[in-house]
Amino acid sequence: MNEHDFVAELGATWFGAGLSLHARARLGECARLLTHPANAVLLREGDDTPFFGILTRGRVALRMRVPERGPVTILTVEPGDVVGWSALVPPHRATSTAVTIEPSTLIEFEPKRLRELLEHDLALSATLYPRLLEAIGRRLSATRQQLLDLYTQQAEPVPW
Amino acid sequence: MVTDAGFLPRADLDRLIGLLREGGRTVIGPTLDDGALVYAEIGSADDLPTGWTDDAAPGRYRLVRDGSERTFGLGPPPQGLKRYTFPSRAPLAVAERTADGAVSFTAAIPDPPRLAFLGVRPCEVAAMLVQDRVLAGGPFVDEDYRARRQASLVVAVACTRSGSTCFCASMGTGPEVTAGHDLAMTELDDGFVVSAGSRAGEQLLARLALPAITPDQHAAATAAVAGARAAQGRQVVTTGLRDRLMDQLDHPRWAEVAERCLACANCTMVCPTCFCTSTTLDSDLDGAATRMERRWDSCFTGDFARVAGGNFRPRRQDRYRQWLTHKFATWVDQFDSFGCVGCGRCITWCPVGIDVREELAAIAPPYEELPMAAPVVAGSTSAYSTAVVRSVAPETADTSTLALVPSDDALLAARPGQFVMVEQPGFPALPISVSRVADGALWLTIRAAGPATTAAIALRPGAQLGLRGPLGRGWDIQRAVGRDVVIVAGGIGLAPVRPIIDTVLRDREKFRHVILAYGARTPADRLYVSEMADWADRGMVVTEIVDRAGPDWLGRVGVVTHLLDQRDWHDRPATAFVVGPERMMEATVATLAERGVPRERIFVSLERHMQCGIGLCGHCQMGPFFVCRDGPCFAMSELGDLFGREGI
Repeated sequence: MNEHDFVAELGATWFGAGLSLHARARLGECARLLTHPANAVLLREGDDTPFFGILTRGRVALRMRVPERGPVTILTVEPGDVVGWSALVPPHRATSTAVTIEPSTLIEFEPKRLRELLEHDLALSATLYPRLLEAIGRRLSATRQQLLDLYTQQAEPVPW
Repeated sequence: MVTDAGFLPRADLDRLIGLLREGGRTVIGPTLDDGALVYAEIGSADDLPTGWTDDAAPGRYRLVRDGSERTFGLGPPPQGLKRYTFPSRAPLAVAERTADGAVSFTAAIPDPPRLAFLGVRPCEVAAMLVQDRVLAGGPFVDEDYRARRQASLVVAVACTRSGSTCFCASMGTGPEVTAGHDLAMTELDDGFVVSAGSRAGEQLLARLALPAITPDQHAAATAAVAGARAAQGRQVVTTGLRDRLMDQLDHPRWAEVAERCLACANCTMVCPTCFCTSTTLDSDLDGAATRMERRWDSCFTGDFARVAGGNFRPRRQDRYRQWLTHKFATWVDQFDSFGCVGCGRCITWCPVGIDVREELAAIAPPYEELPMAAPVVAGSTSAYSTAVVRSVAPETADTSTLALVPSDDALLAARPGQFVMVEQPGFPALPISVSRVADGALWLTIRAAGPATTAAIALRPGAQLGLRGPLGRGWDIQRAVGRDVVIVAGGIGLAPVRPIIDTVLRDREKFRHVILAYGARTPADRLYVSEMADWADRGMVVTEIVDRAGPDWLGRVGVVTHLLDQRDWHDRPATAFVVGPERMMEATVATLAERGVPRERIFVSLERHMQCGIGLCGHCQMGPFFVCRDGPCFAMSELGDLFGREGI
């Protein structure tokens, strides 16, 4: 991918907009832009995470399988957000199954190469990891709110 | 009063002018000069512009010969009498410094000419009364102004014709003469109906020794003025105008009008009430004497707000807003009246034709045009009236919408955000937010949470129940006019915001971008699904998200705040309405505030706190509020720390 295009493409995403120009240029060294059809399985829960990606177009469902309930969508990833953060965090195994629910384009980073880059370019690490933690933190916070099951009925009996 | 009025034949107008001129008094009246009407000295009735009228429109003024015998057929002249009572330049004082360094100040002693103003329009008289309050009615008095006013007589003429830029009837200053005059005249074809409005006027009237007017003359004068009023209609709705305008300090229209405004200050120069001045110093080269002079200034000039601390109103839009809000809002706070008398000069003489009436209607439209927070309906907790179930429509597995036809039509006046008490014999009363008023019915969306709600949605068409209301303070939709509207609802919280959606889509052009962000537990728990396509067609961006979903759901999954991720209102004034469980509202309010929606314009509903409906049982109290009475809809700025706090 042309370096200039890549930096612009990455900068247009929520995740990439928070990265320095240096970081975006370095990341270009191991990135490719890929478009997947709908219903493509990008990650499989428990498997090695094949890439760290940033969704630029489309929608990706993160699903977990529950026996007798089938796949449950926990979250949908919208353009700008990350897919496959586990590629950067040991043990590098996907925490959910990621399926495109419409044709989707991602900037995908080859995980081994990206990890090497991060290991040797501390300036890159210093800007990428806080952003990654912010993305994961948002997910954690959202998951907690979902866990509260706010829209459900009160458990205790009411006279009304 | 008919009995007090006399009739002055047209041929006798010079008798009046002669009386006014007695004792060396100069008579100032309308004359023609340079293609416009100008107040100047007149020696006799021959100096008056008989047979003329004018064609005034936004940015346009032409004299027109109408061939009539009328003397006062012209509207207000470009320059009002302010140039005589409050001249553009007036000496204030002289400061002197002698060679040995002694400094002295000598205030100017007013030496006003004795003037009689003839042919003064009612709006002009009203403007003098406004300036009297400003310049001579407070603790600080402009002595030059006071002296000039005391030395003048006012002979007013009621208007029997309205120009296209006149709006005195809206401002309550015309077209009849009601106060502030010594004599008032109404012109008929053959003369004038004359009455007195002061002691000096009574003396003049007595010396004129006029025959009493006939009933026909009285009727003709009254009808002529009524015709002028009818020709104007009601162009500026002043009810609530002060508050409406002050609610709109960040309306986008200020920037838009500033694009057209040249900041030429014409409007303030022709305004008969504008009183802002600057003091100029004119010093000798050696500094021995400095003359201090008061000169007209204008809040439109770029440096008007440059004070010791810098220029605090640098943008043109700020200066236009300052002018308009002063005239129609803050003037009320300062002087207990509007600073506008509806003479229309600022419209006529604006080079680009900015019409203050249009700007007011766009920026601060009357409350009547949109449903507003309605006054609380008084009533006891037992004042139920019967309603009949017209239909019951299931929304989800546990939620249905009842359409109820009330026997009391007052219930159909429910405003968005208000609620009603629903009573079924044998069950506790339910406070339920109104989810729509349409087709003579009140729509209530009820979720089966306990025995009473379960019984309510089990009712069949034709069944009866009791209703009380409408109750509480609803949504302040007025605060959203001209702005982006952000509606965020969670779960059954979509019901109390649906009347906002109905209102906004009915008057879609009054609002900018309108977005609904709706969060539900699962796809099957969503309300009003069948209406959403229609809402989108009518100009609302409908976004949805659910907490969890199966593989069939192709929409978003996550929390409702994720729907606001791509939005930013820092440069787009927005108003938000939020309803849902408390934790959802807290997260939403935080997200909206981060994204540039000010807390004064984030409204939440605390409907879950309601109990008896009128704030008498005490259950609903939260800090200083009874939620049933003072809410359930609140601005976040009103709630402050109370919102989201446990145990209050």
